Amino acid sequence: MSLESSPVDDSAARRVTAVLLRQDVILLGIFAAMVAFFSAINPRYFSLPSAANILQDFSPVVLMAIGQTFVIASRGIDLSVGSVLGLAGVTMALVIRTCNEAGLEPGLTISLGLLAAIAVGLVVGLVNGLLITYAGLVPFIATLATMGAAAGLSLVMTGGVQIAGAPRAVIMIGNTAYFGWLTVPVMVVFVIIALACAFMAWSRFGRWTYAIGSNSFAARGAGIDVNRHLVKVYALSGVLAALAGAFVYFRLGSGSPLSGRGGELNAIAAAVIGGISLHGGVGKMSGAVLGALITTAVLSGLILVGVQPNWQQIVVAFLIAIAVGVQGIGAPRRGG
Amino acid sequence: MTAPLYEVRNVGKRYGSVVALQDVSFTLNAGEVVGLVGDNGAGKSTLVKILSGAHEPDTGDILLDGTRRNWHSPHDALQAGIETLYQDSGIAPDLTVAANVFLGREILKKGWLGRFGFLDEKKMREDARRELERVGIAVPSATRAVAKLSGGQRQAVAIGRAVAWANKVIILDEPTNHLGARQAGEVLQVIRQARDKGLGVVFISHTLPHVFEVTDRTVVLRLGKVVADRSTDSFTHDSLLKAITGLK
Repeated sequence: MSLESSPVDDSAARRVTAVLLRQDVILLGIFAAMVAFFSAINPRYFSLPSAANILQDFSPVVLMAIGQTFVIASRGIDLSVGSVLGLAGVTMALVIRTCNEAGLEPGLTISLGLLAAIAVGLVVGLVNGLLITYAGLVPFIATLATMGAAAGLSLVMTGGVQIAGAPRAVIMIGNTAYFGWLTVPVMVVFVIIALACAFMAWSRFGRWTYAIGSNSFAARGAGIDVNRHLVKVYALSGVLAALAGAFVYFRLGSGSPLSGRGGELNAIAAAVIGGISLHGGVGKMSGAVLGALITTAVLSGLILVGVQPNWQQIVVAFLIAIAVGVQGIGAPRRGG
Repeated sequence: MTAPLYEVRNVGKRYGSVVALQDVSFTLNAGEVVGLVGDNGAGKSTLVKILSGAHEPDTGDILLDGTRRNWHSPHDALQAGIETLYQDSGIAPDLTVAANVFLGREILKKGWLGRFGFLDEKKMREDARRELERVGIAVPSATRAVAKLSGGQRQAVAIGRAVAWANKVIILDEPTNHLGARQAGEVLQVIRQARDKGLGVVFISHTLPHVFEVTDRTVVLRLGKVVADRSTDSFTHDSLLKAITGLK
């Protein structure tokens, strides 16, 4: 049997590579155009403090977008990430306030708070994964349920108010910027971005994620424990959303049950703008990272040029619609 | 007489109140191609799922090399050397040829990168090409996404993958479906090669000429029971059709 009679010659493979490369280039181009546009309207946009601010806004979005990318590549969706951000943030705030009042030393206090936040993300992620794999709920419904539950739990735990009482060290960690822009949490985010890109592209974990999204039946037939892998993917998304909550807490020094509301919109926008196909199996992590950068840059640009914050969600929603529309036009037909 | 390579004895399987298989026995010898035919709903898919480890039978035994075995998942059967190619679904279209050949059996890099699950793409690329060539499939580019290949080429990759990995049994569910005459002929040629390597091949098909062309023995299922099991030579096209439909 021969594959030599391929209708697609080898130059086509090179063309595809070129297109993929171009996708990154296009995203960077869009980003540059937006920066130019907003800078033209308000020159303050093109400044170090503004860039540092965008980076702070970008970090939680990109953390959620990374988790979302693993999930979407496996042909799922995680709507709970915004609520997990909020729940992890208030949990961390409550634990830290309690430990602080009990007189524990700041290092231990902050570590315990961080662990509690991660545990919250892990638990919600595991619940998502188990609901989807073993209870057989579709990802949309399972994560819609946990989205509501997590948001409600944040309100119950806090009585609806912001939780302050962080030791000074928290604000120091979250806001001490080296070179005027690089804080320790931002550094951690950069490391996570690099690891996520590497694992998505070059590891067995990433390969199985794409395989399940592309054809879960084939993945199962090849001996992959699909359910187990999906549970890991949703757990990862939960933990990353919780880290986003921790990031926001370090930045503000307080946890609000309302923070993270609508965060899933930004995370999904980042992923689909970055070319992650909602049909699963396709898309690069670097695209989602650039997508998160574009999403945040648009949002802070809108604020800086004086657009009312209430319009932000509408703009993000439009970005999603446009990105999905463009993908739909360019997407290769899936074979049967 | 030595034990058959692969055997199920008196298996039964119900889905709720529906009896899918009833007291079915099936044997497969090394170096033999057995055709499994039957009308829709005859129980072919259920038997395939039991043979491949996807479903566990309610009653009866599974024996490999004369030893009683239990498959709790397809993974167990794969480990034991039983490869299954399901109808139209053996391939992840968005992955490359090499990634598909090594799906579930990825080779990791040596050293600490491998401990973190990083893939040795170069070795998989080279080995995929070699393995596919070994079973008679020439691949122009192992790095191309399978979605970019034609239907016949996709099927070639799927079958090549199964034959390359199987070391005892290979189960092919409708492998010539949707293929042109020449491509189907190539698939049958790969099946003969697999048999000559000493594998046992289960060939499920609705296309009776292909059954006559490639199988040594034919098992006919009707309404969940085996109604015929004998040398393919002993059937005529008519008698096989009658066995399948139950019409006189």
